[in-house]
Amino acid sequence: MRAALEVSKELDVAILTKVYPSRSHSGAAQGGIAASLANSEDDSWEEHMFDTCKGGDYLNDQDAVEEYVKSASRVIYELEHMGCVFSRDKDGKIAQRAFGGHSKPRACYSADRTGHAILHALHEQLLKNAKSIKIYNEWYMHSLIVEEGRCKGVVVSDIRTGEVEVMQAKAVIFCTGGYGRVFKITSNAFAGTADGVIAAYRAGIPLQDTEFVQFHPSGLWRQGILFSEAARGEGGTLLNSKGERFMEQYAPSRMELAPRDIVARAEQSEIDEGRGIDGKDYIHLDLTHLGEARIMERLPQIRQLGIDFIGVDCVNEKLPIQPTAHYSMGGIPTDMFGQVVIDDKGTPLTGFFAAGECACVSVHGANRLGTNSLLEAVVFGERSGRSALEFAREAELQPLNEKHQKTKTLNLFEEIYQRDGTESYNDIRNEMKEVMMSQCGVFRDEKRLKDCISKIKSLQTRYKKGKITDKGNLFNTELYEIIELGNMLKMGEIIATGALNRKESRGGHFRKDFPERDDTNFLKHSLLSEADDGEGIQINYKDVTITRYKPAKREY
Amino acid sequence: MKFALFTGCVSKGATRELMVSTMKTAEALGIDFVEMKSAACCGAGVVSEQSPILADALNARSLAIAEEQNLDMVTICSTCQGILKKSECKLDSDEEYKEKVNYVLKEGGHQYTGGKIKLKHFANILATPEGLEMLKSKVVRPLEGLKVAAFYGCYVLRPSEQSEYDDPDNPTGMEDIFEALGATPVYYESRVKCCGFPIVMMNKKASHDMAGNALADAIQSGADVVVTGCPLCHLSLDSYQPEIDKLKQLGYSVPILHLPQLVALALGIDSKELEIHKHIVSTPNFENKLAKLGAA
Amino acid sequence: MATFKIKRYNPEIQREPYYEEFQYDPPEGTTLLDSLNEIKWTQDGTLSYRMSCRSAICGSCAVKANGHAILACQRQAEHVIKNDTVVLEPLGNMKPIKDLVVDFDPFWEKINKVTPYLKPEETKPEKERHQSQAQFSIIDDSSTCIMCGACYSDCNVLEVDDNFLGPAALAKAQRFVGDSRDKDRKARVEQLSEPGGIWDCTHCGECVERCPKPAEPFHRIKEIMTVALEEGVHNNNGARHALSFTKSIKHSGRLNENVLPVESIGFLGVKGIVNLVQDNLKMLMQGKVPTVIKDVFGLIPVGLRMLKKGKIPPIIHHSVDDVDDVKRIFKELKQ
Repeated sequence: MRAALEVSKELDVAILTKVYPSRSHSGAAQGGIAASLANSEDDSWEEHMFDTCKGGDYLNDQDAVEEYVKSASRVIYELEHMGCVFSRDKDGKIAQRAFGGHSKPRACYSADRTGHAILHALHEQLLKNAKSIKIYNEWYMHSLIVEEGRCKGVVVSDIRTGEVEVMQAKAVIFCTGGYGRVFKITSNAFAGTADGVIAAYRAGIPLQDTEFVQFHPSGLWRQGILFSEAARGEGGTLLNSKGERFMEQYAPSRMELAPRDIVARAEQSEIDEGRGIDGKDYIHLDLTHLGEARIMERLPQIRQLGIDFIGVDCVNEKLPIQPTAHYSMGGIPTDMFGQVVIDDKGTPLTGFFAAGECACVSVHGANRLGTNSLLEAVVFGERSGRSALEFAREAELQPLNEKHQKTKTLNLFEEIYQRDGTESYNDIRNEMKEVMMSQCGVFRDEKRLKDCISKIKSLQTRYKKGKITDKGNLFNTELYEIIELGNMLKMGEIIATGALNRKESRGGHFRKDFPERDDTNFLKHSLLSEADDGEGIQINYKDVTITRYKPAKREY
Repeated sequence: MKFALFTGCVSKGATRELMVSTMKTAEALGIDFVEMKSAACCGAGVVSEQSPILADALNARSLAIAEEQNLDMVTICSTCQGILKKSECKLDSDEEYKEKVNYVLKEGGHQYTGGKIKLKHFANILATPEGLEMLKSKVVRPLEGLKVAAFYGCYVLRPSEQSEYDDPDNPTGMEDIFEALGATPVYYESRVKCCGFPIVMMNKKASHDMAGNALADAIQSGADVVVTGCPLCHLSLDSYQPEIDKLKQLGYSVPILHLPQLVALALGIDSKELEIHKHIVSTPNFENKLAKLGAA
Repeated sequence: MATFKIKRYNPEIQREPYYEEFQYDPPEGTTLLDSLNEIKWTQDGTLSYRMSCRSAICGSCAVKANGHAILACQRQAEHVIKNDTVVLEPLGNMKPIKDLVVDFDPFWEKINKVTPYLKPEETKPEKERHQSQAQFSIIDDSSTCIMCGACYSDCNVLEVDDNFLGPAALAKAQRFVGDSRDKDRKARVEQLSEPGGIWDCTHCGECVERCPKPAEPFHRIKEIMTVALEEGVHNNNGARHALSFTKSIKHSGRLNENVLPVESIGFLGVKGIVNLVQDNLKMLMQGKVPTVIKDVFGLIPVGLRMLKKGKIPPIIHHSVDDVDDVKRIFKELKQ
């Protein structure tokens, strides 16, 4: 939406979404959006940059990080001017609180629904600018049209009618989110199924750093839905079955406010070593000492989630939590202007831009800090929008082979309708999620990853032998779920392949067989692309840009 | 049993038969109602449109008067009950606000404490296990064969957080009372819906449509009579029934009784004494049924 | 084992909707949405409904369970199953598309009607606009709305009048009416006081009951009413009704039912009557039937009818005892 607003300053723009703009998963972001406003304590963009790079285990491209953190204050003031609702400090300024991995309180927030506040503020601006912004609700994007080395549009279908269309455009921006749904326990929405990332991959664009998946430390046990890190920012503690604040062993100086990868690993270690609560696979998040008034002021939604989803009122009881697949650091490679690049030399794909979780700039490196993702969405939404605008202002619509492009999707529909196998898509989906979680999750090693890849490949074969029950055109959610499953099966393979290849531990990627960071061999981005046969995955590398902060040992 | 009776405005105005039948019923049941003559209007959710704290202050004053009498307070109007309860909830959940309101009351000699007395609709005190037993023991003319449809009125049900009256979606208090009187309760979807009265001055057609849909629903479910605990619902469903009939072509008119009237009929009190003839709608069907019960 | 009785509808196959029963035993601690998914994924893939975040923030999965709108992801299955059965239907007041999926277009159109964005002063400060915590708290609740449509589905007025903006749009309106950064407060409450706006709300409280968040539209509507009265937007039946009602309590501690209807339609104070005459003359000149005539004629039949039955409130309006204390409270609160 931020990108569309930018484009709409001069040109007409269409937003295509498989849900509705206000239902996007950015709305689920709870805790805050980072900026060194210094409203409560001295702060600077340099400190924000350092924290981000250290948090990312130095895999961040620092030239991009610098631009990103420098823009932070401005974009937040812009949001505020648009009307975004922020919690306030006693002087009436935007309130800021502490967050994991940040050395200063720089999370601007709207209670514990910051993403929701920003999402709706942007949505309001879309409605305000309805003359130049057309919203296509509940349309699905099937493929990216790349011909003669240039992006010309997308192939889409209307979920309500099943109609397939080619949407021609001078410029295309993907803001298609992540792919947490490939994991069993995830905080992601049902919509987070890798559609955009896989469409780019299928169009010949490599995917960058996909082995780095963030597991958030406070997912609700079994459900995976999120209890914001703000709960720890406000003073919540983590306890094992012995009632110990186990973070003392793992990050004595930052404790519960260490970066997410470290906290998630600590939790998983406690669980794996038998110190989960009642020997089960969860530990406790304790907020009871905060008191009802503070919880109601700062964390009201979290309290309600606990009551509704597990019958636990965090005012009096501890919340059961476990690591949950949360954020994909990797994605479609772009430069710091949101322009998609297709190789290690930074060659652009003309007319194609990406921003947000689906993109990999990379400002997050190997692990993203909390509150940096909303900032990324806003900063790079604006930047990619600006780049697309500047490009489209001069560009012409390109002739394209509409029939050919449409036929590919129609054939896919037809092929799915024709399948007459006995495999259950539900079983395939569950088995994929299970194997990705257990073999490609918080802790990984060569054996697990090889198992994982072979299992995913067998699932891909079984996937071809399923059978659909709904063959209608009208709001056929079953058809779209099957297509999404196809995307996720490919995505799972790509994640595991990257993870197997990266023989080191860095940020969100931890190899038990290679527990140390290896800057000699792996201080570089991975680029995974479709092999010429259309099946295999080939791996290349791209250098990391380091400007200000040399990689140092990462301790908290 | 002795209670402070909050009469509300409408039982002193357009539906005086409610007041009359309430007192007759109470007398027959041996309930002592002490009328709160100095209590002001509850505000009906309208005064709070102009000033929320004014409405709460007036209601805190009424509650304080009952506290002074050391009597539980009974209402005979769903609107009064709902609005007073809402003020009570607001005052009880916010000490600071209560203090502010008490400061306003101080000079008049009243102070609201909270938690000292209970605030209940007349239906609430009848629908308890003891109340129902008492009713059963005092029924002299069981309303056998009479199909009675309850119409609850919004304010006692919603917001349920601030009403504590009954299950907001599936209340049973009124129907329990009907059964105790020997009548057959009619369950229908609209019994928990709005009668449309609050917008009769602003959007007449919508108001009558709402009332009409509820009446049609009750009629289709076989109701001989609709009974309400709220005089405003009564005005909407009874006084405006000719207009509603014109709009909805009901093809059948249905009498609307106040809850105490129905109770009193079963207790053997004559319908004239209950001023049922003052209602706009009186149908031969209902009169016949009552006659058969020997109640008319 | 529980029975999920689901309203099915697919106009491609069958014109009329019907109910279909599915048997499923939801494990403890799972949500109604989990049950729907299990039924779709293991029993009938054609079953259609919307969903996305499953953490009660995206607003996609609102449906009716046992006749009332809820968010499927927010409710534990065991809490909505009554006597081993739950009835699931599409949201009300919207046209069904397929099964539990309804057409939200009219819902969004109404959101659009309330100017759903901030209209601040043109000049922007270099940093953020200041807003006190007290000012923030006025819009805190309304800004939690997730546009799920649960309130819209169960709104009693929308059932009979499409013209009503409805609870969600009005809650959204309060989000800006109450925003200290907005400069269009008066214009907003003027627009919201027109027919179909705040005064058409019937106070049924359904929207509060169904709202899955603290947005609770009815409370927000009341807040807009207070602002409208404060801002002097009085020239409509709703506002006059509130003013007349309160005036009556101020004088006697009790409602004067004889005066209220007459004042509500315009005969309220000298200024009110002047306005009334002016407005209605204007209508007359434009060749329209003046509303006051319609209003007065609307009152006559019911008045006569009640008079005939002896139902007219006493002509001499009595005050409550100790009315001076009531008057004092009004004075103390500067009303």
